[in-house]
Parts: sequence; structure tokens; C-alpha cells
Amino acid sequence: MSEATLRKTANRRSKLTRSQERAAWAMSAPAMILLFVFMILPFFMSVFFSFTSRQLVVNPKRPTAFVGLTNYQKVFTDKVNRQAFLNTLEYTLILVPSVMVLSTLLALLVNRQAKGVTVFRLIYFSPQVVTMTVVTVIWSAFFSGMEDGLFNMILRTFGIPAQKWLQDPKLAMPCIAVMSIWQCLGMQMIIVLGGLQFIPEEIYEAGTIDGCTSWQELIYITIPQLKNTLVYVFISNTIYSLKMFTQVFMLTQGGPSNSTTTLVYQMYVEGFTNKRVGRTSALAVVFFLIVLVISQVQNRITEDK
Amino acid sequence: MAMAQNKTKKHVTNSLFYVLYVAVAILFLAPLLFLFISSLKEETQLISDMTTLRAFVPYGKMSLDNYAQVFEKMDFLHYFRNSALNAILQVAVGLLLNGMMGYALGLLEFRGRKFLISLMISLTIIPTEAVVINRFLVAVNLGVVNTIWALALPNLAIPMYIYLFYQHFRGMPKDLVEAAIIDGESYPGIFFKIMTPLSKPIYATVAIMSFIRAWGDLLWPTLVVRDNTWMTLPQKLRSLNDNVYVYWGQIFAFSAMVTLPILIVFLAFQKQFVQSVAMTGIKG
Repeated sequence: MSEATLRKTANRRSKLTRSQERAAWAMSAPAMILLFVFMILPFFMSVFFSFTSRQLVVNPKRPTAFVGLTNYQKVFTDKVNRQAFLNTLEYTLILVPSVMVLSTLLALLVNRQAKGVTVFRLIYFSPQVVTMTVVTVIWSAFFSGMEDGLFNMILRTFGIPAQKWLQDPKLAMPCIAVMSIWQCLGMQMIIVLGGLQFIPEEIYEAGTIDGCTSWQELIYITIPQLKNTLVYVFISNTIYSLKMFTQVFMLTQGGPSNSTTTLVYQMYVEGFTNKRVGRTSALAVVFFLIVLVISQVQNRITEDK
Repeated sequence: MAMAQNKTKKHVTNSLFYVLYVAVAILFLAPLLFLFISSLKEETQLISDMTTLRAFVPYGKMSLDNYAQVFEKMDFLHYFRNSALNAILQVAVGLLLNGMMGYALGLLEFRGRKFLISLMISLTIIPTEAVVINRFLVAVNLGVVNTIWALALPNLAIPMYIYLFYQHFRGMPKDLVEAAIIDGESYPGIFFKIMTPLSKPIYATVAIMSFIRAWGDLLWPTLVVRDNTWMTLPQKLRSLNDNVYVYWGQIFAFSAMVTLPILIVFLAFQKQFVQSVAMTGIKG
């Protein structure tokens, strides 16, 4: 090749690279600008305002001032905030283990070659289709605290006294958890089912040759093989539980006596009703750090494979 | 003899499984049946039925009266229009923006690409709930509160969707791009004319995800829409549910109509629907 052609090709190359570069940035720009304005900027605002006394509407007489770690101190010492942490933890501790056990059982149940089994899978999945606001409307009818509410009538047939359900500080959170489990179980079942179908058939065949009982099969083959799937279910449901808001907003507004105030609901109240952006931001940063740690845990556990 | 015994045994376990299947199905379906059946009942019967298992039985005087009332008295169509417009904007514009960026990250070579990819992955970790109050401040400063833009704009670019598109396009053959360039096609042209038609499944998956998200969201609309003009269906349902003077029958009819659009999408695209919801763990 002559020098001229070489230069020509090189020129053409760099022209191509440049037009590629321009196209790539132009096509990323709209999404990037929106992400910057509505995600990255608010995120750094949260970090910044968490160290200030910023209010939702700034009062000219009391300008925003730096307050050091006061907001963070408040996150852990304020009674309602602490309650919000504990309530969210309670909800998570009920929901996550139940979902893990029940979704695995359901997945094992429908993991058979049987006529019509796909229809049953779809039926179990169907609550997922119902918007959470609608789910709460339906269940609020069941959870009626009246003597003659549906659940109370069912209890009565077993000779158990009527309950106040959502109006009972001890029962309100478990009630919300049961309702949420009902909604999300079918989807988790599908995820575990996906994991089950990835387990190679040969392992089970080897197990049969070694004389495994079905119980041993479950303990020594199925569950270890499902490890990554179950870790995923564990992490995603934990994060999902930490974000719980709609159910409380629709049904209890944090009551009775703050027994259902969750972290996100508390952020809504502090930021929007009480208009304290500084404190809400501190809460938001702590919330983010918790989610961050949990998602890192997943990476650690599943990485060694 | 032994074979026949084996056969009956198999038969019995099979029937047992079906009994279990049906029992579990009842648990999952009963609340939904309750909703649709109750929405058709007349109020006095509905109230007395609600305390017994008759709540799950369609009988008595059934009519669409509650639905008529929801249209007439509650201006259902107005809120439906708001929710639909919001969802359509989020799905259509979102697919375009997230798809374009996913394509650029996955198939094009440019400086800063690696940085943008790791930025996108970090952003997927940030829950929207953690930025929501300051996002609201941004919306206030942009002067978009109480408009459709406040509802839709912040939900168009979603890091998770960009990441899914990126993963998809990364798996597409680069030769396809090079061949098209030699044929005189531009890089955006390749995206619109060649890549998008080849990527229908991922588009369907993300479309369903973002539709569910837009349709069910309550927190963000509550923050940015404070009057009737752009109020969405979940918001309206919440105010109805809080109002003790509203009839149960009408609340149920309203709820049923909020559910129907997603139910239709679900029945029409079962496979993609299940797949897309399972893919991210996004929940209503």
C-alpha cells in the first residue's frame, strides 16, 4: 500500500470514530440530562442538605444554616424515627423469611409436568397484576375491625374472639405484611421456579442411584443448587420491604400510635407534612446506606461461584 | 398386580396434587373474585354479604349501576385520562431514551463509555425513595408542579432500563453495525432501522415494566400533583377510600376499572409479562 492510501484509510478511520463518538453522546444525552436533573442532583442535594437546617419553603428570617451532625443524631434519637426503623425491621423480618419459604414450596409444587399446571402458575401470579392501591382497598374490607368483619367471622367459627386488626398496634404491621406477601408471592415463585429448572437433571439421577429419599434430595441437592436464586430472592425482598410505603399510606397513615410508620412513610411525613428537608435528607442518606450495604452483601455471597 | 398398584398410587398422588393446586388457587383468586363480584352488587346486599362467605358468591340483584355511578359522579374518565397519558408518555418516551442510551453503551465505541456504564450501574442501586424529597424540590424549582411534566419527566430515564438495554445490545453482533456503516447508514440510523426491529422482546419487557410502574405509583404523584387537574387514578382511589360517605360498591367498581387495563395487558402478553416482572423484582 502506498503512503497516500494508508493516510486515506487512517483519515477515514478517525472520521468514522469521530462520527461514532458524536452519535453515541447525542444518543445518551437526553437520558443523561434527565438522570442528572432528577437523580444525581437530588442525591447530592440530599447529602448536602442533611447537614443543614433546610426547610421545604425557606423562611427569609431563618436562613438555612449548617448544623453539623444534628440531623443524623435526630435520625437515631427521635422517638418516631426510631419507631420507624423498628417497624420497618419488623415488617422485613415477617415478610422476607415467609416469602422465601412459601415461594420455594410453591415453586416445588408447580414444578411438575402435569396437565394445566401452567394455568395454575398464572393464577398464583395474578395478584401481581393488581395495583397495590387496589390490593389495600380489597384487604381493608377483610380487615374490618367490626365484630362482623369477614376475618372476624372466620375467627368466630373457630371460637377465637374478634380482633381489631389494623386498629391494633400489635397486629397492624403483621396484617400489612400478610397482605403484601399475598401480592408478591406468585412472582417470587416464578423466580424460584426459574432457578429450579436450571438444576441439571443428572444430579437428581445420581441422587436416585445413591438411594436418596425425596427429603434428602431437597436438603442436599435442591436447596444448595438454588443458593444464588434464594440469595437474590432474599436481597430483592429485603430491599422491597425497606421501601414499603403505599400500604401504610393507604391503610393506617402510620397508626395506631405509630405502630406502622415505616422509613419511607416517615420521610414523607418529615419532608412533606413537617417540611423539614434537612432531617428528611439525613433519613434518606441513612436509608440509602442501608440499601447499599444490603446490595453489596448480595455481590459478596454470589461472587465466589 | 404390582404395576396396577403402582398405577393407582400414581393416580392418587396426582389427584392429591390437583386438590392442592385448587386450594392454593382459591387463596390467590378469592380477593380478586371478591372485588369484581362486589362491584356488581347493590349496596345493602353488599354490606350484609361482606361479613360472610357470601361475599365471594355472585347472586342477588347484580348490575353495572356502581360503574355508571363511578363514571357520572366521580368523573372516572378524567382521572383515567391523566393516568393513561402519564403511562403512555413514560412508556413511549422512556423506551426511546433508555433504548438509545443502551444502544450507545452496548454497541458504539467512544471515550467515556466505561465511565457511563459504571455510573449507570451505581445509579441502579439508588432507590427513588431516597431522593424523592429533593427531587420534589427540583420539580418545584423547575415550575412543573401540578402539570403532566412533573408526573412524567423524572420517570423517563431509568438506570435499570438503560442497563437492561445495554446488556441486550452488547450481545448483538458488531459486524452488523460495521456492515451497515459501509452501506452508508448513520449510527442513529442503524439504531432505528436495524437494531430496534431486531429487539422487540426486550422492548416488550421494558414496556410492561414501566407501564406497571407508572400505573401504580402513588408516592410521587402525591408529592407533585396537589389538585384535581392532573390527579391520577391511585390518588383518586386513595381519597375515595378515606371518605366514609362513599359507597363500597362504587369504590370496588372504581378499583376494578383501575385493575382492568393491567389485567388486559397481562392476559394478552402473559409470557412477556411474567418474564418482565420477574426480571427486575419491581413491584406495584
